[in-house]
Amino acid sequence: MFLASVFKDLFAFDFLQYALLAGLLVGLLAPLIGTVVVIRRISFIADTLSHFSLAGVCIGVFLSKLINWKIFDPLFMGIVFSILGTFVIEKLRGFYKNYKELSMPIVMSCGVALSGLFISLSNNIDSKYTNSLLFGSILSVSSTDLITIIIITVIVFIFIMFTYKKIVTLCFDEVYARVSGINVKLLQLGLTIILALVISLFIDIVGVLLIASLMIIPVASAILIGDSFLNTVVSSIVFSEVSLVSGFVISYHANVTTGPVIIIINILILIVIMLIKKIRSSIASKKK
Amino acid sequence: MRVTVNNLTFAYTQKLVLSNISFSLKSGEFLTIHGKNGTGKTTLIRCFLKMLKVNDGMIYLDDMDINHIKTFSNIGYVPQKTDFNYEFPITVFEILSCAYLKKRDAYYTKIINDFDLNKIYHENINNLSGGQLQRVFIARALLNRPKLLILDEPTVGVDVDNIKTLHETLQNLKQEGITIILVSHDMEFCQDITDYYLILNELGDYEFKKAGDNNVSS
Ligand SMILES: Nc1ncnc2c1ncn2[C@@H]1O[C@H](COP(=O)(O)OP(=O)(O)OP(=O)(O)O)[C@@H](O)[C@H]1O
Ligand SMILES: [Mg+2]
Repeated sequence: MFLASVFKDLFAFDFLQYALLAGLLVGLLAPLIGTVVVIRRISFIADTLSHFSLAGVCIGVFLSKLINWKIFDPLFMGIVFSILGTFVIEKLRGFYKNYKELSMPIVMSCGVALSGLFISLSNNIDSKYTNSLLFGSILSVSSTDLITIIIITVIVFIFIMFTYKKIVTLCFDEVYARVSGINVKLLQLGLTIILALVISLFIDIVGVLLIASLMIIPVASAILIGDSFLNTVVSSIVFSEVSLVSGFVISYHANVTTGPVIIIINILILIVIMLIKKIRSSIASKKK
Repeated sequence: MRVTVNNLTFAYTQKLVLSNISFSLKSGEFLTIHGKNGTGKTTLIRCFLKMLKVNDGMIYLDDMDINHIKTFSNIGYVPQKTDFNYEFPITVFEILSCAYLKKRDAYYTKIINDFDLNKIYHENINNLSGGQLQRVFIARALLNRPKLLILDEPTVGVDVDNIKTLHETLQNLKQEGITIILVSHDMEFCQDITDYYLILNELGDYEFKKAGDNNVSS
């Protein structure tokens, strides 16, 4: 019943079409990038960068109210900070031998603190705006946003197409990648920049708090059932898209924020898969 | 591949691990590295693979200073099993075909057949036994058409039959003129085909000797 009404509205309103299309692309990109992040055991980097990128957005909001320069555009500042964040993390890692992952919470706290500071400094920010930074506002995707997303999706796809083998090799065995003649530094730089780009792009759509979940959880589900790299990636994309579309429909119908609904569906998928796995293995052990 | 090591010295921040090591190998020569735990065997290998930075003039591959080599080619590396990322699903096919940057060709197929990987070609590597996994790694190392092959503890957790096969493989590779550096705790493994031993002792002390030769020449 409500599917029909969602469909009817979908044809009636441009903004819904933009939102759905943007959502589908996000649903494709997030687990794709997420896979690389998960395999390389740097899942926390997504959260860290998104929070640091948020600082860029907030500083951008603050500065662009003071001075009307294009480079202080919040989205652009977000991208700059996201990329900057990856370098700061890398630098901080060098200070520790066994506690390298400390670099992440440090950068993350710094991001949160700066965001809070600059939000309070730039008075009279609409609370709707800050809310959408935190939880996203997929329904307010504009046609220019959509074009940006399409361009970035294409860039990511071209990058992955040309470096697929190298990425897989790098992810599984960095030392081997090095000796086999892959320019590891350059490839890592490429992957980092793409990660940073995608994260800052997602802030507007899914919100800072949910970006990491969107990248990580579908992959966490897929690892449990995959038996090859390719089918793990494909199933993570399927989970991601299922949660996006159903989350979209449900939240539109129930008139609640989309982002959280999508993540909750993702988590439900994960739980179901874990349960099935548990039941299967207990059946298998009983048979023995 | 010729390997020349000149007064190689390496220290982690405070700790001197390798001190003034010198030796050289010609193409097709076989070096076995022995040493107690923590004497720097893996560190030495990491220096060779540029995972750790050494000074100019310390390590040469075919007379080229490794610090001047931008990207390696012709080096095969079989990692210690613990250095490999398990759990994430990946098949033998995916590991090998992605490691082979060119289009799959006759050479690729030959390696697959030589190491009898057809039966496990589409298996998830998490389901493989230690010996099977070892075959995959060695096959992968050879895809590079290496002139220098470096193996870190390849016999750990591998059964007698597979150790025998590995021995045969290494013997053949040596005959093809590939230089081999083997790190192993197993004193007997490859005893018969080793040309030189490098024995690392504590405090950066070492011995480099010809096989069958008891005279220390350090
Ligand atoms: N990243 C590091 N930072 C500081 N010290 C290190 C590091 N890695 C190794 N060491 C130290 O260097 C010494 C040599 O270590 P290495 O791993 O090379 O020994 P190994 O001969 O390979 O030992 P094993 O037989 O246990 O594999 C050890 O004392 C170790 O504590
Ligand atoms: Mg070691």
